[in-house]
Amino acid sequence: MNLSQIDFLAAAAAATAVMMCGITGIQTQFRFLALQTALFSGICLLEGFSSHGQHMAQFIILAAVVLIVKAAGIPLFLMWAANKMSIIRDKGNTASPPVTLIMAFGAIAAGYFLIPQFAVYSAGNPVSAGMAVALLFIGMIFMVTRRLAISQVTGFLIIENGIFLYGLTQAKGMPHLVEMAVVFEALIAVLIAGLVILRINRNFEHIDVTQMRGLRH
Amino acid sequence: MKNIFPLIFTVVNLLIIPLLLTGVIRKVKALMQNRIGAPVLQPFYDVAKFLSKSETISKNTSWVFTAAPIIGLSVAFLAGALFPWSGSFLPGKFAAASNIFLLIYLLALGKFFSMLAAMDTGSAFGGLGASREATISMMVEPIVITGLGALCLNAGTPNLQSAFAGNINPIIAGLTGTALIIASLAELSRIPVDDPTTHLELTMVHEAMILENSGRNLALIEYTTAIRSCIFYGLTTQVFFHMLPFTHSMNPILQYAAGIAGVLLFGCAVAFAEGILVKLKWRNVPNFLTFGTVLSLLAALIAVTQR
Repeated sequence: MNLSQIDFLAAAAAATAVMMCGITGIQTQFRFLALQTALFSGICLLEGFSSHGQHMAQFIILAAVVLIVKAAGIPLFLMWAANKMSIIRDKGNTASPPVTLIMAFGAIAAGYFLIPQFAVYSAGNPVSAGMAVALLFIGMIFMVTRRLAISQVTGFLIIENGIFLYGLTQAKGMPHLVEMAVVFEALIAVLIAGLVILRINRNFEHIDVTQMRGLRH
Repeated sequence: MKNIFPLIFTVVNLLIIPLLLTGVIRKVKALMQNRIGAPVLQPFYDVAKFLSKSETISKNTSWVFTAAPIIGLSVAFLAGALFPWSGSFLPGKFAAASNIFLLIYLLALGKFFSMLAAMDTGSAFGGLGASREATISMMVEPIVITGLGALCLNAGTPNLQSAFAGNINPIIAGLTGTALIIASLAELSRIPVDDPTTHLELTMVHEAMILENSGRNLALIEYTTAIRSCIFYGLTTQVFFHMLPFTHSMNPILQYAAGIAGVLLFGCAVAFAEGILVKLKWRNVPNFLTFGTVLSLLAALIAVTQR
């Protein structure tokens, strides 16, 4: 099977998500997140080229918005927040990072082999559909296995990236205004979550989700 | 005339390049630490010096202790001669001997005997080092097998020589090459996993195993380690060369020169990394090696799906 360039970028994005599962340094995680999102703006441009210049301007604007808001803005905000809380490492909670890495690889393999069975074939790029679902799985694995509340935000962003990828490559003809609105929605969600985590850190002096159950009392 | 070059290259590969690589690594490392360092040819003098010295052997040891360095060196010689790590290829009839599983088992055999010898002395440090070395190689082997297996699956042959002579998917080559870098750092006891120049026995891995060796034994072991480094660095370099489209259509002599230059540059890069990195905590080593495993697995996934 020959991979198209879009499929290749999607697979590279999924591979960065896998590597994120093994990284414990918070700042490095955000750098990988930025890289992953930058690959999506590349996919936007390629989609624009493959539509033969019909909606080229729309695709370029969408790629620029993704690059500025999601690949630069959100990771920078999260890095600032992590710096402010002076957290350096998230060593995992239920599963250690190596186990998470292997699980994430399993998610990619599952995405690759299972999803083309029920992807929209007419839309093309069945591998991208698989990678989008793999990103969903990896984001969930990431959220479940990490200890700090800020990693929940990172996991949410990986899931968001998966949904974005699916929409971009499978739903042809979806208005780009909707995609752009989703990008800004993610920005607002991350801003609110980041500020809430900052407040939690100020009030309780930790953002460890395993101990947050006790906060009700 | 055409067949004489591989022979000359093999002799140079086995006699000169390994110790030269060790010398280059030590020199670059010294320069990184603002020292002048020993001359590049110092490992040759060291081996000659060790060979002329008498050795001290503990009364508690059996024949394994004296035999292990000899077995290790012969196995390393065999592997160094058969596998195309330098970019020079043996004549076609030897191609079947460069099977990847032979490579894995030859390297494992040498390692097995060095561990036996370490435990044979009965010293506490020997056992400690052997146990750590066994743990590391248990985690390194899946990386090497899966990565090289993916490469061979993509090329459609189990022989490294035929695989390197043909075309390999550049993505698989990149992933496998990166995985092999991680594997070689662990397998050859370089810095993120083990510090080869440490003086503290409790943190040693490879050094703790060879603590009891002296004289001729030590010379053979140093030489074996040098050849093993060459094989690992050379295979990694060759894999990376397959990411560039023009390198495997070159003149054989040029290809060999590029391969050797690649090995020496790789050594410089390792020494540079040792200048700026610190040793990982022992507990974090599996974490580091899992990255290699996952990179190999990704390469294997691509190789399986592209068939």
